[in-house]
Amino acid sequence: MIRSKGRKRLLTAVALASGLTLLATGCGSSGDDGDQGTASKGDGVLTVWAGSQTPIVANFNPYAPTVLHAALGGVYETLFYYNKASAEAPTPMLGESFEFNEDGTELTVKIREGVTWNDGKPFTAEDVVWSFSNETSKPEYLASAEVVDPTTVKLTFTGPQFTNEFALLGASWMVPQHVWKDVPDPVTFANEAPVGTGPYTVASTSDASYTMAANADYWGGAPAVEKVQYLGIDANTSAESLLKTGKVDWAGMFVADPDGLTADGRLGYINTPQDPTVLYTCANVEAGCAGAQTDVAVRQALNVAIDRGVINEKAFVGLAGEISPTFALLGRDDKWISPDVEKVSPQEANAAEAGKILEAAGYTKGGDGIYEKDGKKVELTLTSVEGWSDYNAAAELIAAQAKAAGIGVTASTVTWDEFSDSRQTGSFELIMGGVVGTSVADPFQIYRDWFSGEYTQPVGTQLESGEWNFSRYSNPTVDAAVNAAAATNDEAAKKDAYATIQTEITRDLPYIPLVINATQTFFDQKDFTGWPTEDNLYAFPPSWGSVSAGVVLSTIKPAE
Amino acid sequence: MADDDIRTQEFVTPATSSSPVAETVADGIAPRDRTEGLVPDVPTPRDVSTAGLTADAPVVAPPRRGFREMLPRRSGKLIVGLVLTIGIGLFAIIAPFVTQDPWNYDNPVFEPPSAAHLLGTNNLGADLFAQLAEGAAGSLTVGLVAGAIAVVLSLFFGIVAGYVGGWTDEGLSLVTNVMLVIPGLPLVIVIASYMESRSMWIIAVVLGLTSWAGSAIVLRSQAKSLRSRDYVAASRVAGEKPMRIITVEILPNLLPLLAAQFLFAVVLAILAEAGLSYLGLGPSGAITWGTMLNQASQHNAFTIGAWWWFVPPGLMIALFGCGLSLINFSIDEIINPKLRTAPAAVKSVRKARKAQVRDEDTRPDPEADAPVDGDDTGGNAKEKERVNA
Amino acid sequence: MKYYARRLTFYVITLWAAISLNFFIPRLMPGNAEDIFRAKMARKGELTPAMEKSIQLLFGSDDQSSLWDQYLRYWNNLLHGDLGTSITKFPAPVSELIGQALPWTIVLVGLATVLSFVIGISLGAWVGWRRGTWVDGVIPASTLLQSVPYFWLALILIAVFSVNLAWFPIIGGYDTFMFPDGPVPTWEFFSSAVYHGFLPALTIVLSSVGGWLLGMRNMMVSTLSEDYITTAEAKGLRPFRILTTYATRNAALPSLAGFSVSLGFVVAGSIVMEQVFTYPGVGKLMINAVQDKDFALMQGVFLVITVTVLAANFLMDLLYGFIDPRARHNG
Repeated sequence: MIRSKGRKRLLTAVALASGLTLLATGCGSSGDDGDQGTASKGDGVLTVWAGSQTPIVANFNPYAPTVLHAALGGVYETLFYYNKASAEAPTPMLGESFEFNEDGTELTVKIREGVTWNDGKPFTAEDVVWSFSNETSKPEYLASAEVVDPTTVKLTFTGPQFTNEFALLGASWMVPQHVWKDVPDPVTFANEAPVGTGPYTVASTSDASYTMAANADYWGGAPAVEKVQYLGIDANTSAESLLKTGKVDWAGMFVADPDGLTADGRLGYINTPQDPTVLYTCANVEAGCAGAQTDVAVRQALNVAIDRGVINEKAFVGLAGEISPTFALLGRDDKWISPDVEKVSPQEANAAEAGKILEAAGYTKGGDGIYEKDGKKVELTLTSVEGWSDYNAAAELIAAQAKAAGIGVTASTVTWDEFSDSRQTGSFELIMGGVVGTSVADPFQIYRDWFSGEYTQPVGTQLESGEWNFSRYSNPTVDAAVNAAAATNDEAAKKDAYATIQTEITRDLPYIPLVINATQTFFDQKDFTGWPTEDNLYAFPPSWGSVSAGVVLSTIKPAE
Repeated sequence: MADDDIRTQEFVTPATSSSPVAETVADGIAPRDRTEGLVPDVPTPRDVSTAGLTADAPVVAPPRRGFREMLPRRSGKLIVGLVLTIGIGLFAIIAPFVTQDPWNYDNPVFEPPSAAHLLGTNNLGADLFAQLAEGAAGSLTVGLVAGAIAVVLSLFFGIVAGYVGGWTDEGLSLVTNVMLVIPGLPLVIVIASYMESRSMWIIAVVLGLTSWAGSAIVLRSQAKSLRSRDYVAASRVAGEKPMRIITVEILPNLLPLLAAQFLFAVVLAILAEAGLSYLGLGPSGAITWGTMLNQASQHNAFTIGAWWWFVPPGLMIALFGCGLSLINFSIDEIINPKLRTAPAAVKSVRKARKAQVRDEDTRPDPEADAPVDGDDTGGNAKEKERVNA
Repeated sequence: MKYYARRLTFYVITLWAAISLNFFIPRLMPGNAEDIFRAKMARKGELTPAMEKSIQLLFGSDDQSSLWDQYLRYWNNLLHGDLGTSITKFPAPVSELIGQALPWTIVLVGLATVLSFVIGISLGAWVGWRRGTWVDGVIPASTLLQSVPYFWLALILIAVFSVNLAWFPIIGGYDTFMFPDGPVPTWEFFSSAVYHGFLPALTIVLSSVGGWLLGMRNMMVSTLSEDYITTAEAKGLRPFRILTTYATRNAALPSLAGFSVSLGFVVAGSIVMEQVFTYPGVGKLMINAVQDKDFALMQGVFLVITVTVLAANFLMDLLYGFIDPRARHNG
């Protein structure tokens, strides 16, 4: 009897206690969150989401694949800044000027004076040499790097390297020799207190966020924003909610309805489309490709049968940009586009013309409306990665549009592993995928990495790192032009080479261009000023753009 | 015959009695009293209904024999359950043929429900009612296939182990218990992540392979109990083969239990598939209710207020599961007659009491002390009254 | 005593089986971790030669030793607490990541399970006690609640309470703005953690209470028809005493016994819950590992989850043996 009574009392007591605790903490904490629940955060800390997920592990090593975003640009810098979003000349950062010799085998760089590392030691030419020639970062084509005088460094290469200007000057991180020469294993080094020349240093790290503090001795002047906190968020939808409720101040991510976020006026918005979305086709019969898409007529017909306007509107919510079949970014790279080729891909479907192209190549329309030749129908499979809903939607739309023009396309989704595997080995017909946009206002890298015969492997062999020619396209004219463009810095010569390339690739269409993917950035314009805007696009806006993020961070100021 | 020792039967693993039906043996013969666990099982025919305490109780129907005995009695719960289940089942079979094409994106996006689109459209313009119909077919297929696989496996591991006994039993029980304790969803997640392509059938197979352990344990304890019955012993003495005994003597008695386990497994599989799809590990390229919910949450339907996208699939899962659970409940009432008769008994006692009170109010005083007509237990009714106050 | 010995043996065998399963699954399944990782990294931009070298070092050279040698080495590493290194959270060791996340899961899920057990059993006892009355109508309602997809309910709750009404936080286990340096042992941190854990715990309780309730109700109805209950009533004991001391104690036993089955559901629910709420527990760690093909982390988390479930079951078995003397003597 006593036991049950006692137990009853105990249960009641526990229930009461937990209920009270809950109430107390709820009341206690809701006060804090209440402040931050309103639209603006007036506490001077810039809260950023650059794509990190939780748990956050402190790794500020620029050579590690899992490095945290703030290290690149915030702590470590490069010699020059190349603005992806415009065609201007590179901005001097740690380097003041540079010059190639005539044949491009030597590069001389003048270093900025008076720069110090955030541990107080001076930034010297030796550091620059170390940054280029240490084991982990040394490019294959570098023959030597030497100090000419305290403010000049000379790099010597095995061949002309005009086309690697960006990789050397805009993407090589300057690291301090005095720290790194003693590191036993640069790959596994977590570098939790990074020594760099950039505008910020690491203040603290937790499993859900990390905080950066302004570097008062920064060579460009101490940044006006004292603290920057980078969050770990796992889902885009959560990030959207946090943007909406005023908890995040700067984020670059895809949002289908940007007006919903900018409605209250706190957030500014800018869309800078950069990366092409295309249909990879396995185009080269000699390399082992099979299927109806190996016939150039089929690819050309498909190219005009697609309705890019509808695809942009429906699948990409109207946020994507128009694409040029020359793969030069419209607007930024206009000067490289040859006047003899089509500048912009057709935005409307033209089923009649598709039919004409096929019929001219010997196809006849079958009873079911699908073209066929020698008894074989034009039927293609198109795969896209499941979960990438914009691509999946575009694939479905393309299937419908192609069918209307007489080409049988079946769209299906695959896991990311299958997608990666199939494009690496060339075992596919059509894949909806992206092309890596160039970081400079010059389409050369795309031509070399995606179209040249030296950057591919036969079907069945995996592509090596740095090789992006999934379509197995191999055209000696293109290869010769690529090599010619690589060997010179003369603009006129390059334009000629590009014109040759463009004539070939706009005719052969190994990658059928679709749209340029949107790159959206949201920023708190109410509490901070100085963001890149359409009128003043001084840097590539998103929070995850490495060197550009550093430039933005050192430019913005808290609003008065 | 150590394995026939009743003392070792039911308590090798406590989980054997995880479900109330394990308390009652399915062939309708009275369950052992819990207080007499050590006494050998002697079947004592007893009145199935305990409602014979008052004459006002509904007349106990004569016990129905044979197959009809195993059918659930009609009750509100059963009818609702059947309506929901059969209704949704018919929807899944017929609707995909009469609705629009769920893959057609030619419509305006994010439209609320209207005459043209009964459930509106999603972010790409697909008609959601059509997707719901297609999803019904998908989800139910996964559920049924997974449920069937789970039941077949649990049949094997449960009944064979329970009937045969000995080392076979030990071995099969060990496997069953290991599978029971290893957490199901993490295992499915790990397996699903390694697979390159995931079709609906593969998902169903994986779900079935990881969810049979619970019902296997129940079936095993049932088989063990049934094994000691007279008619089974008689068959054994008559020289029948074990396989025949299992299929002819034991299995029919377990049919209600199996049905309940199957329905339970179907519900679990549908919910598990929904969870997997939400995590991004569901069937690729197919539409199920789970993938609809996954897409709805990926496109923030919950926060932008597109309720017509995420409410219907979740609601359908809930309703279908509810229907199956209600049918399960009715099956439980066949297996464990106390579940059916006890509430009825209490209800009838309450009615009797109310009638008694009413009569007492209307009757003149002198007769107040006389026992109520037909109440031959006298004081007991008053006890019941107090108990149920 | 024999009962405890049997149970212990069983759990040791199960542990061995789980660990071996963990070892064999990746070796049986397709998928080359290194290629997948390389392709994933390449998505973010071109792989510099430096990164290439890093990747090769991360994954090591091809293991040419026999399967048995690898198996023994796996056990050796395990017993030294080495679960490998995470690829996506390089260079954090897997054990460190799990150590960070495990307390969150155990505390939240443990408390929520106990809470839903207590509530479910109590409500089930009451519903069973009130059999034959209107309370029986609770049953269809709880079957409906039981069948609701858990994450659907959670997302609706978030949309209503966190985003629209802003009564609760949207993500996280604690307020990262107030504690940018991470967890600290202060009262404010504790209250922040409770505040963030309220909605997740609520959803776990809501989704699992129905199962306990229904099982308990059925057992109550069965138990209340037993002879000893009738005897107790005849003896004139108070109804409440019969309910608690005689009926509930016996009726709750199968629920306790069936705890292992229910725990499976709780674990499944908590994995999805952590994903929905971005709660920093092991479930979310596993999902992230799966999505990024971080096989070392995934296997480590699976192992830890399995061991935790085994430990919980073992504790429950010990408890059950203590409570129910028949199990002790018969087992």
